[in-house]
Amino acid sequence: MTDQRLRVDWPSCTARGVCHELLPEMIDLDDWGYPVTSRDPVPPELVGFARTAVRLCPQLALRLVEVSGPGPRR
Amino acid sequence: MMADGLVIDPGPALLAGVLDGPGLAAHRRRAGELRRVTGEDVARAAEAAGLRGRGGAAFPFARKLRTVLDQPGRRPVVVVNLSEGEPLSAKDHALALVAPHLVLDGALSVARAIGARRTHVVLPGDRPAVRLSVLDALEQRDDTGSVRCHVASPRFVAGQEQAVLELVSGRENLPVTAWRPAAVSGVGGRPTLLSNAETWAQLGFLLQHGLDAYRRSGTVDEPGTTLLTVSAPGRPRHVREAEHGRAMGDVVPELGHPAGADLVLLGGFHGSWVPRDELARTPVSVEGLRSRGHALGAGVVQLLGVEECPVRRTTEIVRTLAGESAGRCGPCRLGLPALWAALEDLGAGRSDAAEVERLATLVTGRGACAHPDGTSRLVRSLLSVTPEEVAAHARGVCTLTDAMCPAP
Ligand code: SF4
Ligand code: SF4
Repeated sequence: MTDQRLRVDWPSCTARGVCHELLPEMIDLDDWGYPVTSRDPVPPELVGFARTAVRLCPQLALRLVEVSGPGPRR
Repeated sequence: MMADGLVIDPGPALLAGVLDGPGLAAHRRRAGELRRVTGEDVARAAEAAGLRGRGGAAFPFARKLRTVLDQPGRRPVVVVNLSEGEPLSAKDHALALVAPHLVLDGALSVARAIGARRTHVVLPGDRPAVRLSVLDALEQRDDTGSVRCHVASPRFVAGQEQAVLELVSGRENLPVTAWRPAAVSGVGGRPTLLSNAETWAQLGFLLQHGLDAYRRSGTVDEPGTTLLTVSAPGRPRHVREAEHGRAMGDVVPELGHPAGADLVLLGGFHGSWVPRDELARTPVSVEGLRSRGHALGAGVVQLLGVEECPVRRTTEIVRTLAGESAGRCGPCRLGLPALWAALEDLGAGRSDAAEVERLATLVTGRGACAHPDGTSRLVRSLLSVTPEEVAAHARGVCTLTDAMCPAP
């Protein structure tokens, strides 16, 4: 079974975006406003919100990636 | 022998020919003509030899090779990474000077075996003697038609895998986010077999001399050798070939020197602090070190002078590393200078370990390359290996130098 995890393309991310607003359960902000994404798989009930966050990221920096097993936090 | 400021000691396998010079004729006398092998032969030999990548991550080579072989359709690409971004490491540097043909034998016979379309050789921007020696070696051979050379920019992260792939693809030599492993999709989307010079030299030795010769060094579980770069105050750097399984203290007798500091930097700027006595007893072995929570990393062993404080040294290294951030990823660009500032505050008795620990944890895993992770590893190893010294600094005392650590 593959899990969906959040991953940020760091060179593209410009901080203080909508991702934290849309998915606070999984995305925190650090001292500088950059997202701190959870390492855990996105639970089924949040997948829809996660997709919206991915779609609305103005830099296309946020992605949902499929991983089997424990994934890296990136 | 001494070359380009390094002392390169003769060794049992890769460094056996140090005294014969780097020429092709002497190399062929030792290693014979290039063997013809298939991709499957290489994978089996690498598996039987337990060969792991020597760039720091110690990933099994055969697994990487099999991933490349499993990609249908497109012809693969081979990359020889000689850029050696870790400033304390000089093992690839030494190989380029004394055994360039062993490195090229490994890369070119594997390239031929897997039908690679190109072999890219990436040379360091800041080690001119390496460039000259490798270009000279390439000119002596008649099997380099598919080889292209590139020069990396002289910075720490230029040698990271993704940065090297960018350079080879004709873009800026900086890391980008990898969505898929290079073995699946690397240069131009082709399956790419990228390894550093020592890994290719290990393969060159294994393929040219055979599995039995390879197994003559090391242990049953971990055959072969590994290259170390040893530095100590006031001495030139030494590159040594260590047999797996031997005690670190036998290979690095400097660890027994009574005038040394208690902590040793293992692995390099992205490495960790290890108590000197403990390291001396530990066998040279990926598993042996791993089971004690250490990693050989790039094979660096750096000893400090007895007057040198590891808190201060860590602070200086983090300052360097913060300056080496390629500045592309926010958490690395902003987080590493913040981590440096927190260490300065700690060293001046203005802050405690908690803030340092928080920032080190915060930056981990949050960049296109492993630069923040490596920096964090170094800092966290300081906090865990010598909590008393860290706590003393937070109170404004350095117990080692009997005074406050001098500000830079
Ligand atoms: S919305 Fe996109 S660019 Fe903005 S902080 Fe989130 S990931 Fe970064
Ligand atoms: S993680 Fe740091 S060093 Fe690596 S690409 Fe990003 S900014 Fe550059």
